[in-house]
Amino acid sequence: MSSTAVPSSSGAPGSAEASAVRRNSKRPKYSKFTQQELPACKPILTPRWVISAFMLVSIVFIPIGVASLFASRDVVEIIDRYDHECIPVANRSKELQYIQTPGPRPSCIRTLTVPKRMKQPIYVYYQLDNFYQNHRRYVKSRSDQQLRDNSSADEVSDCKPEDSTSNGSIVPCGLIAWSLFNDTYGFSINNAPLNVNKKGISWKSDREHKFGKDVYPKNFQSGGLIGGAKLDSSIPLSEQEDLIVWMRTAALPTFRKLYGKIEQDLEENQVINVTLGNNYNTYSFNGKKKLVLSTTSWLGGKNDFLGIAYLTVGGLCFFLAMAFTIVYLVKPRQLGDPSYLSWNRNPSWQ
Amino acid sequence: MRESSRRTKRKIRWSKLYTFSCFRPPNADPDPIKSLIGRPGFSRVVFCNKPHLHRMKPHKYPTNYVSTTKYNVVTFLPRSLFEQFRRVANLYFLLAAVLSLTSLSPFTPPSLIIPLVFVVGISMLKEAVEDWHRFLQDIQMFDEATCQSVRARTSNLNEELGQVSIILSDKTGTLTCNQMEFRKCSIAGVSYGGDLNEVDLAASHRMNSDMVACSPNLKNLKIPDAHREYSIKGFNFRDDRLMDGRWTCNSNVYDITMFFRVMALCHTGIPIEDDQADKLKFEAESPEEVAFLITSQELGFQFCKRTQSVMVLKELDPDLGGIVKREYKLLNLLEFSSSRKRMSVIVSTEDGQIFLLCKGADSIIFERLADNGRSYQEATSLHLSCYAEDGFRTLAFAYRRVERADYEHWNSIFMKAKTTVGPERDELLESASEMIEKDMILLGVAAVEDKLQKGIWLLTGDKKETAINIGFACSLLRQDMRQFHLSSVMDSGCSNQSEVILVAKKALVSQIKSFSQEINEEHNKHMPFALVVDGQALEIGLRSDVKDQFLQLAVECASVICCRVSPKQKALITRLVKEFTGKTTLAIGDGANDVGMIQEADIGVGISGLEGMQAVMASDFSLPQFRFLERLLMVHGHWCYNRISKMILYFIYKNIVFGLTLFFYEFYTSFSGQVLYDDWYMTAFNVLLTSLPVISLGVLEQDVPSDVCHQFPALYKQGQRGICFSWKRIIGWILNGAVASLIIFLSTIHALSTVAFLGKGKVADIAHLGTITYTCVIWTVNCQIALIISHFTWIQHLFIWGSILLWYIFLLAYGALPPSYSHTGFQVLTEAIGGAPSFWIITLLVVVASLLPYFIYMVLQRTFYPLDDHVIQEMKHCKKDIFDKPMWLREQQNSKRTTQVGFSARVDVKIHHLKEAIQQRRESIYNPTQRCPSPVAFWSLLSLLGKLVQTQGTAHELDHPPT
Repeated sequence: MSSTAVPSSSGAPGSAEASAVRRNSKRPKYSKFTQQELPACKPILTPRWVISAFMLVSIVFIPIGVASLFASRDVVEIIDRYDHECIPVANRSKELQYIQTPGPRPSCIRTLTVPKRMKQPIYVYYQLDNFYQNHRRYVKSRSDQQLRDNSSADEVSDCKPEDSTSNGSIVPCGLIAWSLFNDTYGFSINNAPLNVNKKGISWKSDREHKFGKDVYPKNFQSGGLIGGAKLDSSIPLSEQEDLIVWMRTAALPTFRKLYGKIEQDLEENQVINVTLGNNYNTYSFNGKKKLVLSTTSWLGGKNDFLGIAYLTVGGLCFFLAMAFTIVYLVKPRQLGDPSYLSWNRNPSWQ
Repeated sequence: MRESSRRTKRKIRWSKLYTFSCFRPPNADPDPIKSLIGRPGFSRVVFCNKPHLHRMKPHKYPTNYVSTTKYNVVTFLPRSLFEQFRRVANLYFLLAAVLSLTSLSPFTPPSLIIPLVFVVGISMLKEAVEDWHRFLQDIQMFDEATCQSVRARTSNLNEELGQVSIILSDKTGTLTCNQMEFRKCSIAGVSYGGDLNEVDLAASHRMNSDMVACSPNLKNLKIPDAHREYSIKGFNFRDDRLMDGRWTCNSNVYDITMFFRVMALCHTGIPIEDDQADKLKFEAESPEEVAFLITSQELGFQFCKRTQSVMVLKELDPDLGGIVKREYKLLNLLEFSSSRKRMSVIVSTEDGQIFLLCKGADSIIFERLADNGRSYQEATSLHLSCYAEDGFRTLAFAYRRVERADYEHWNSIFMKAKTTVGPERDELLESASEMIEKDMILLGVAAVEDKLQKGIWLLTGDKKETAINIGFACSLLRQDMRQFHLSSVMDSGCSNQSEVILVAKKALVSQIKSFSQEINEEHNKHMPFALVVDGQALEIGLRSDVKDQFLQLAVECASVICCRVSPKQKALITRLVKEFTGKTTLAIGDGANDVGMIQEADIGVGISGLEGMQAVMASDFSLPQFRFLERLLMVHGHWCYNRISKMILYFIYKNIVFGLTLFFYEFYTSFSGQVLYDDWYMTAFNVLLTSLPVISLGVLEQDVPSDVCHQFPALYKQGQRGICFSWKRIIGWILNGAVASLIIFLSTIHALSTVAFLGKGKVADIAHLGTITYTCVIWTVNCQIALIISHFTWIQHLFIWGSILLWYIFLLAYGALPPSYSHTGFQVLTEAIGGAPSFWIITLLVVVASLLPYFIYMVLQRTFYPLDDHVIQEMKHCKKDIFDKPMWLREQQNSKRTTQVGFSARVDVKIHHLKEAIQQRRESIYNPTQRCPSPVAFWSLLSLLGKLVQTQGTAHELDHPPT
């Protein structure tokens, strides 16, 4: 009801006064809320609104798409897959056996050519494929308390099977820490070493709040089966940034993790020599290992997806705006045209 | 048609899964009732004077104590817990919560248990509040006279209010105010009293306004509506020949006196002292008796006292010309029953004469007249049919003088019958009363208007003819309807009872067959049909072997009137119709005899009127007046249906969007069960972050304003046809949810995978991906509801945009907790994603992209296939209802033509009648090719015109013949 707040009185007027008080006590109290008469806006999809909405979307989206695409194109990225090439030719038929054999392995030399000038900082990543760091059992296999706090070193109940050795609890315990990535990269240009800064590659909140300054590795990788890298037990966990980065489990089976930063510009066509310590076993599950050098833009790394998606949606909306404009021009439907009412469309309708 | 309804009947009603009741066997046929007599739960065997037997095992009954609440302090906790976990969903979540305590679960226990406790707690709170105070407060449904408003006595039926296809109503008692008004009478062959009844009034009122609309010059001619204040309740009689004691001048004083005596004596009422000195109030079994008593008081026969054996009247004596107090000794009272359809009293006057005074249904009385008592029968019958045509209830009055010797003889028989104990008592009493109720002298008939409650459209009367006429008056029957009359005449000559039934059944089946054939004929496809069934035919029709055919016929008719129905039959019809059609049924009634029907129907509505509380106690909704049913169904039913179907569909959608992202993620975790979102995000989703907009949708959504719901009853068809909640829509929404979730998931993982997502070279881990995806989900579902809602008040805005804001607040607060509580959510917004432009850009992209399919669909639908509510919304939006009033009114008319619901429809019919009548009579007068205008025809035309002129001045009408 739009305006009539007072109901049409149907009562007998004679007996009004005496029972008025009693009446009002039972009568529902009038409020716009309880009577559902709150002022409301009732937006209607008129043709003008439809076309404006589509146009607005395309006007906003296409520039963003172009900007994103440019940002992505600005990023220079060098990707080098080395898991196969870094196995000595003699051992290539038995990759797994090669990687599982303990003892020092000859380092592997890779050469990379800079395709375009790369401004510092240049981020060094390792990329693993087909590595399910997001498997539930794997993700759960850690003890945050132990990492944070020296006194909870024995909180290892979640870490099985890597919870303790005969010497006591493992710090850091669990499968994630156990499988710490242990390939090493050394960079040089024309035999001049290229410094890789490994500080600040992890989240600050992790260093300060999740990994204790007084927690030191204990009994780590001392069991029968070695999963990955070993840790220097004299450095507190909060400074073991490789571990901190590794402990942030990746969301998808293909992932990159930050290895370090090269704080020096690289010129086009420069040749970088990478001395690679190939230690990490991805061969047992057909994983791939890649070395990635990448700059970043304001949007992040090299990824055209956002730009293309924005352009697609914006373009689609532009097309729809045009299409509906034509429809409304060619075959306009008057708003509130009564001939569209169901009882007018088929009179015999029951 | 037949096949499809059969199929509906056969399939398991999945809607009942909610409370497991779909697994219960359906109610057995009511036939083996006899074997159940005496069994527990069906009937009780009571031992008189042996109360100790009742304390022993087979007869140990619970007390008759009636409780109006479901719980008390002690039973609340266990019973409400049981109520909660009786439901499949809650039980499922309980099991899930129990499982979460084991190591199998991917979730932490609190994240599953806390929402369950929350939901169950809220439901229990709601139960408690409802138990305490059930209410619904629409001021427009408040009854000023009785200070009662509508009460919703159950809370989970609201959506069915919008889908009612079949209304089963109690007869007159419910549909009328239960206030009888004495309107007309025919005494000694002369008809007295004549006034417009409500339908006439409204018709002339409407014609009035039509006239004004088309000819503004006539405005001044408008005569005020005849809304007179009736000073006396129950008495709406104007005739100068009888009023103010003027009847004493009439030539036929004796018959008139007797007529009033019957009126004042033949009843079971008692007078009540009132503060007004000379006027009394009365209480009686039926309101018509009250009306008679008031009338007789008004006309000079005041019934002032009743003792065990004496009734005292203050009579206006025509001979003495003053008021005389007379005592009548009440000798016997032959009670009214529905089978006898009459009641009599035997009184002896002060001078020792014995009279039998009888009132009853005309057909019954006419059978029992003496040969010399039929002098007025012809004239009276004529009047009677007039009254019935006007929709009045009629009663015939008769008397008989009994010789003392005859009386003594009869009394002994009667007393013997009365003191008999056993099943034959009724029969003996019946035959005894037959002996005395004969050779009567007809006095006349009285017509009472069963004052219609405002806005009624379904009635059945006692007499078939009356019922049909009233059916017309209420537009339950229309002129263009083909009527079928199912009746069965029991041949009483045949002695064998079963043979009679067999014959009757055969006749009925053949009737049904011929009617069905007619319906199925091609040219009748779109014609509305009406079915009128009388009590006996119904009794046979409901037998199990004819049942299906009968119901098939009944269902295909637009309206069905059943006359003379017993309470048990009412309940039986309700159940059969419900089961046979599978449609939502609503039963409405006010008396104790409607309880069965009310309980049997999907929705039971009780009228908290004058006939006690039994119906209200059994009902789901109680109304103070019948007319509120229109608002209850048309406005609240339509809204509730619309809201709840939108709400459920949206609920499905939002959980699909949410749930499928989790599922899609499993493809990337080798189905290990890793969860994309933090436990607390999952918990907050349905409880905190998306619940309030849904509530605002379910409570405040209005597709069209309430006055439009009234004006366009065809909108209600949406509910009956179930278009808001059809499989098409459900699947559509599921698809929409799946597409949206696919867009969200694929966009986020492609935008975030592998490469750095912010300038500092950091890459996203599970927590980041989860939080960003979750943000997109929250935005999408909340913006989606903004697209669904068509009625925004500040509450909706607050809830929708507040929910989105709340997510960021939640994220900030959660991130600010120490990492031992927030785990992966620690500083996730402040440190990581909040500062990344890609986070905001992804959100914008995903929200727009995931809403685009629905938006395009909506635009296409509105452009090419708009629904009724869309068009009406547009009309309202363009203010066409103000600028293009004729169109607006015309569409209202068109909308009603297909539905014919409500008071206005009745008024239309009446206008139609009146205009037709004028047309006919004018033709008969002015058409020279026909016979000469007789004075009678001329006068009748004048009187008819008088009716119209009284309210509007019809000179215009005469100049321009109505089209």
